[in-house]
Amino acid sequence: MISPNTLVILLGTTALGTCCGIIGALMLLRRRALLADAIAHSTLPGICIAFLLANSRSVVALGTGALVSALVAAALVAWLPRVSRIRKDAATACVLGVMFGAGIALVGLIQRSGSGGSAAGLDGLLLGRTAGMLRSEALIFGCAAIVMSLIVFALRKELLVSCFDPRFGTSSRIPTRSIDLLQTSLLAVTIVIALPAVGVVLTAALVVIPAASARFWTDRFDSLLRISALLGAGSGILGTLISTSHPDLPAGPVIVLSATGFFAVSLLLAPRRGLLSRHLLARSRSRKRTIRHLLDAILDAQLQGQMQIAIAQIPESAHCTDLRSIEYSVQSGWVRREGDLISLTETGRIRATRARKALEIWREWLTSEASIDRDLIDLDEVEIEKILSPELIDTLQRSIDERERS
Amino acid sequence: MIRPAIEIHDLTVAYREKPVLWDIDAVIPVGSLCAIVGPNGAGKSTLLSAILGTIRPASGWLKIFDKPLESSEELIGFVPQRESVDWDFPVEVLDVVLMGTYSQLGWFRRPGKAQRDWAMECLEAVGMTDLRQRQVGELSGGQQQRVFIARALAQDSQLILMDEPFAGVDAATEEAIRTVLEDLKKKGRTVVLVHHDLQTIEQFFDHVLLLNLRLVAAGPTSETFTRENLMRTYGGRLTLLDEAAEAVRRIRTGRTRIGRELE
Repeated sequence: MISPNTLVILLGTTALGTCCGIIGALMLLRRRALLADAIAHSTLPGICIAFLLANSRSVVALGTGALVSALVAAALVAWLPRVSRIRKDAATACVLGVMFGAGIALVGLIQRSGSGGSAAGLDGLLLGRTAGMLRSEALIFGCAAIVMSLIVFALRKELLVSCFDPRFGTSSRIPTRSIDLLQTSLLAVTIVIALPAVGVVLTAALVVIPAASARFWTDRFDSLLRISALLGAGSGILGTLISTSHPDLPAGPVIVLSATGFFAVSLLLAPRRGLLSRHLLARSRSRKRTIRHLLDAILDAQLQGQMQIAIAQIPESAHCTDLRSIEYSVQSGWVRREGDLISLTETGRIRATRARKALEIWREWLTSEASIDRDLIDLDEVEIEKILSPELIDTLQRSIDERERS
Repeated sequence: MIRPAIEIHDLTVAYREKPVLWDIDAVIPVGSLCAIVGPNGAGKSTLLSAILGTIRPASGWLKIFDKPLESSEELIGFVPQRESVDWDFPVEVLDVVLMGTYSQLGWFRRPGKAQRDWAMECLEAVGMTDLRQRQVGELSGGQQQRVFIARALAQDSQLILMDEPFAGVDAATEEAIRTVLEDLKKKGRTVVLVHHDLQTIEQFFDHVLLLNLRLVAAGPTSETFTRENLMRTYGGRLTLLDEAAEAVRRIRTGRTRIGRELE
């Protein structure tokens, strides 16, 4: 049974997961994932200073402190490479280290100075704590998620061009600088919102991981944003459900682990880009190649007047993969087997002839077009016939014939 | 007098303290097909950026169609170097071409059917309509270049800048780009492009701008593209520059011969 309290927390974490997913996708596309890490860690000194100044743990006070120091960090990361020889990655790492170090020092200071009970809450900020989430906070998170979705929807083309090709954007009068600023501000706000639930240390992970997982599932900009938002929200929900049923587990790590779970699934199972489907594709390619060699070898024998050949007679290249491909060819109806002798069926003969012809033409094409993508070299006859137009095939065939005649 | 499309006066551009373009004066007339030629590091791309207005010159001014660059409303078409973007980006061919229409759309508006039809027409011009739904990373290098050309066509501007469009492309793409250039010329558009292949300059370009940090020469190809000017652009470059750099270094570190004598 889900209690009303849990429901509030669920709403909150779903909303912030959505925010993280959207902004994470944009940061990933700009290759600024590390900036999220730097900003998240940099909120700590701001929080501590705000705590010391306001002497309270109110969300508004600490949130303002966090936001200010997040923006200072973002400004430093942008400014350092412009005025010095430090590169962007180094600047990001420097800012992260210095700010987080200062934050940890301040936390220590506050705890030792004995503000006692109220300081204990700062610990929660490091790793996150969803248990105490108020209804008003959850509502703020929900609104933030809606506003962010609206902004991204309205500025789709501006965001797309400044992520893909900012220089072109500037040249066609899109204010890429302002879009940049907006994006960084959204990132800072998202991180500040996510802090109480996920914590300083792991917020960046929640920004980056859903986006990285989403990239496995799509090649489109809009779908990437959508899937990333969904995965972020999903991580929020799953993490919350797990951590409310196991009160000992801190919420932040559990939410991030949920996101990581989604990432692992994407990495393994995503169609086309996932490891499994790439492995299967490679295997089916290699099987096709072997069978092509096998059929070709039998066809060779046939053309020399030998209708049946012994398995042992098949040349090395085709024989390399044991008897499984012969078995497979028999089942597919390309090859007839009688004991140790094999021969081509009619369909097998047609297939072998077609493959041989296609490959001959393909080789001719590769020789005439010296520069060609490496991806395009290892193809089978179906792909070859799809790529080359019929006229081109005719031309190539003619040039082969001519060469053979001369 | 021929109307200038681009007028460059006393232009100096520097990255940090290091000048990359120095004291450029040149005029590119309307309707010309102009090649910017020079060795690597001569500041060719920087000159394009200055004309585009994406970098601010340290001194000097530029006029586009008789108006100062800052106040010019003219949209300048642009084909960046192919390597300047991440081709693994999740975006489709047609979406990239549509970027050419963004500037006329204004805030918040998305490209509609009119823009999409126009983008398709531009894709047609480079022979890429079949591939409109491909993710850009699945294209060959030449096809990617053609997408960039189509995007510049979609901008439909009077002045188009291209940064090495012929670099590393296949024969079909080279042919497509040439056709596009001829069409643009027929329509009276001005095209300025950075070009590396000295063999084809005389054949295709009616204007050249020889550049090597400073302007070596600029004008109609027949008068400007001479052996002597090329020697001044390329020849002896290394020795000359090295000597100059060495001299500057010596002055900066206070180790000139004169300085030592004074000590």
